[in-house]
Amino acid sequence: MSWFLALFAPVFGTLVSGIDRVVRARMQRRLGPPLMQPFYDMFKLLDKRPMMVHKLHIVLGVMHFMALWASIALFMFGGHLLYIIFTHLLSVIFLILAGYSVRSPYSHLGANRELLALFAYEPILILMAVGFYLTCGSFEVSVITSNSPAIVSMPLMFIALLILLPLKLKKSPFDAPEAHQELCGGVEIEYSGFFYEVIYVSKMTEIIFVYALVFLFAGQNILLGIILVTGSFFLVNAVDNATGRIRIDHLVKKVYATAFVLALLALGWISYV
Amino acid sequence: MFEKFRKKSPWILHYNAGSCNGCDIEILASLAPKYDLERFGIINTGNPKQSDILLVTGPVTLKSRERLVELYSQMPEPKVVVAIGVCTCTGGVFRKMYNVKAGVDRYVPVDVYVPGCASSPDQIIDGVVQALAILEEKSKDIEKPKRLFGELTNNSIFTNRREMAKKIKHEKN
Ligand code: SF4
Repeated sequence: MSWFLALFAPVFGTLVSGIDRVVRARMQRRLGPPLMQPFYDMFKLLDKRPMMVHKLHIVLGVMHFMALWASIALFMFGGHLLYIIFTHLLSVIFLILAGYSVRSPYSHLGANRELLALFAYEPILILMAVGFYLTCGSFEVSVITSNSPAIVSMPLMFIALLILLPLKLKKSPFDAPEAHQELCGGVEIEYSGFFYEVIYVSKMTEIIFVYALVFLFAGQNILLGIILVTGSFFLVNAVDNATGRIRIDHLVKKVYATAFVLALLALGWISYV
Repeated sequence: MFEKFRKKSPWILHYNAGSCNGCDIEILASLAPKYDLERFGIINTGNPKQSDILLVTGPVTLKSRERLVELYSQMPEPKVVVAIGVCTCTGGVFRKMYNVKAGVDRYVPVDVYVPGCASSPDQIIDGVVQALAILEEKSKDIEKPKRLFGELTNNSIFTNRREMAKKIKHEKN
């Protein structure tokens, strides 16, 4: 089962992204693309003439995907939560390096913003892991998922994660690192054709990573986990449709003022209440 | 092998080569919820390296032509170009002005010409859908702009019938 989940995580992510696009279109009262649209996009990208900037750029992109996939695999096999978070951090750092390795100013600006976003969400992810340790007594995902739901003992931490969701999924109001209208995708701008495919797939895999973290809050209760994931999915899409993009410095300030404080309060709650 | 997916996910790059913004507004209207081009899988990417359809508006001004050719050459093949609006096709009201060149097909090979000043969203969607049929047939070879390489001479663009009758001797049947 965990082999299956780990191996097909990119496929599931693509499917979720297809549902995501349809749901978002229906919320705006339009028809939206077909459900399989992200798959069509992928097959089309395979068909383009290959163009690359330089080899390192491509290698870093592939390493970004591999590290991300490895972190998903670690998660599915019930590994150490801190390792998972740090492998994910490594994958983001590969992407940022790829952004800096080309000379496009858009790419540099995107990498800067990606770095700032990383600065905003990474401490909260680590605090979340600490919270799981305090409630379940272990960093192992397998132990956390065999315990009672962690959301009962740290609801504030769950709200902090909900604030991070748009940031990790590159949705408004926190989509400044990607910013399709001003930066045209930021770090991914110089990838094209088959090489963009890698980045595209890793964006899809990222979705699975994020919702897996949400699922973790349900512990052994799988039904509750499904409810949490669907609930947060619709919430993220509703927020995405209802809000506009905020500036990157406001993003960092707001995430620290809300999610970071909530995460600290949640830790205090676990220790003293 | 993957040819049939080309027309299922065409990504658009929209470039304004000095237009009066009339046609740009119509393009954005056709991407917006009412006409909803996304139901064909079309996204406005704004990034030449990841797009398949180049939507150009405006007669090419002298300032914008390098950028137009640059953007065109950065798009990986297969790609199609759709000229939107009459001033993009032939120069329209701006034809023979000192600062514009008449039409984009002088610089990039155009596949679909969408007339109208400004062309309506219906026409734009129709043009894009026609472009999709062309996109499916295209190979991955690099194309040359026809007019620049002399295949399509300046003589074959006319502003009125009388001018056309003067330049082309019609065969009497
Ligand atoms: S065709 Fe007309 S409306 Fe469109 S850009 Fe040209 S002048 Fe403006």
